[in-house]
Amino acid sequence: MRDGYSDAEGRGMTTPVPSNDDVFAHFHDVHVDRDNLEHYRALMTGRLVINRCDDCGHWIYPHRPLCPACLSWSVSPREVGGEGRVYMYTLLHQSRDPNKPLTEPMGLAAIELAEQAGLRYLSRVVGCAGEALFHGMPVRLTWTTEADGRRWPAFAPVGEG
Amino acid sequence: MARNPLKHHVAIVGVGSAGYGRDLERTALSLGLEAAVKAIDDAGIDRQEIDGICGTGMTPLAMGGAGFLSLQGALGIERCTWAKNGWLGSALVFAVEAVFAGLCDTALVVQSYLREPGMSRAAARDPFRRRAQAYADVGGDVGLGDMAKRWIHSGEPYAAIMRRYMHDFGVDNEAFGLMAVNNRSHALTNPDAVLRSPLTLDDYRASRLIWEPMVMADMDLPVDCAEAFVVTTAERARDLRGDPVYVHAMSLGGTRIGEYYENWAGWHDNAFTACLDGLRARSEIWTDDLDLFYPYDGYTIDAIAITEAAGFCELGGSRDLFRSSWDQRDQILRLNGRTLVTPNGGGLAMGRAGGSNLYADAVRQLRGDAGANQMAGADTAMVGIGSFFHDPAAMVLVSSRQV
Repeated sequence: MRDGYSDAEGRGMTTPVPSNDDVFAHFHDVHVDRDNLEHYRALMTGRLVINRCDDCGHWIYPHRPLCPACLSWSVSPREVGGEGRVYMYTLLHQSRDPNKPLTEPMGLAAIELAEQAGLRYLSRVVGCAGEALFHGMPVRLTWTTEADGRRWPAFAPVGEG
Repeated sequence: MARNPLKHHVAIVGVGSAGYGRDLERTALSLGLEAAVKAIDDAGIDRQEIDGICGTGMTPLAMGGAGFLSLQGALGIERCTWAKNGWLGSALVFAVEAVFAGLCDTALVVQSYLREPGMSRAAARDPFRRRAQAYADVGGDVGLGDMAKRWIHSGEPYAAIMRRYMHDFGVDNEAFGLMAVNNRSHALTNPDAVLRSPLTLDDYRASRLIWEPMVMADMDLPVDCAEAFVVTTAERARDLRGDPVYVHAMSLGGTRIGEYYENWAGWHDNAFTACLDGLRARSEIWTDDLDLFYPYDGYTIDAIAITEAAGFCELGGSRDLFRSSWDQRDQILRLNGRTLVTPNGGGLAMGRAGGSNLYADAVRQLRGDAGANQMAGADTAMVGIGSFFHDPAAMVLVSSRQV
């Protein structure tokens, strides 16, 4: 039996670890596989984890089982600190679903995480007007709740999130 | 120089097109079959000579579209010794590889594209397009659920890369606009082009924002279309009735970036530069010798990046290059004072064909039968097609006068 995780606010409480079936049900529209399963399990408990090489410390993203820096197979999902900077971004003026038009442009950015140069996670940017976004903007991990009730990682400007 | 043993040993001897339209009310297979029949007829061969087929699709066994199995069955081609699916620029490269390697003698390449339901509200209303999307191919998880996977197969990162370009090189969108104007100007005299109204730089700048800073005029035009090619050995080509076009050199490309766009590693280190560097190491013909240049224009940022990867100018130098290359009278580019760029209008104005219409126009130009847009005496063409990370392909083609 796996230990519970601390909850997202770090209050020391634990939440039950979702089962594989829970992960598949919660992320019914995502290609969950054996290489990214722990990432999605962690998202359900409010943690952003990314694979890291146990041997050389290299962070590996997207979720792959082999370290591209040293070819070690000893790779473990580790929680990231949540600090980062906007590497590149666009403002979406048109949604993919014509039945759900955007009421305002949505900021979507590749966030370069503080852990490693080139380690980037694609995410919404919230708490910030589109025209205020800039390359290199410092941001911090936060969470958003979508209309279907699911919580996802997002990033907000430091000091405003 | 790298090894280039295939130089002038493989030729394109047939081309065929099913035409271009916003709604041709046909399946991808039907369009592909029309292009195939025309290409076989153009080559002047019996279809049973075809012993290799490259169909359309991202997966080896794409069903319900214009994949190799469907094409072979529908065309009644008895036996093949090579078959594969492909898309973008790599499809033609695969066929040339196969002919040169001896896995087949005469390969048929068919590239069929539909206006997909995700491309517009009107397309999404069409039940035929929705079913074709659902069942024709496998696109993988493209982030409809998880935003973090949204850029795996998406145009949105191209908007982010376009913004990085403007930021990194301190320029506005003028170069992007001039590329769009160039292609539209050529399309005005291409009867097969779907967009045949003039476009000015002001029109470009007034185009609707889709993914800021990318506007609609930066994007290729979704259409229904198909292009087909017959590829064979130089020996066989010389016996055929038509004028062959020879493959001088070609390259694919890839980098450590992998499949996630957000891992993009910058202007020096992307699939376009890897691919064009590979071509340069194999080709005796380069930018100073080119009559025709076809940089893929799925988005204008592709065409800009390919132009720079080919070395027409330094990285970030497209705006100055295009200003100094601009033909004010015809509203087109003449690189180095003479090289025409995408003289059929490309994806931006003729219609979205995954770059296959760039290859097709290059072949027609080098044979001298490109119609109203024929460049007199065109002997050399470079085609670069692909994306910043997947399926980049580049090829130098020459007329029979050069061989």
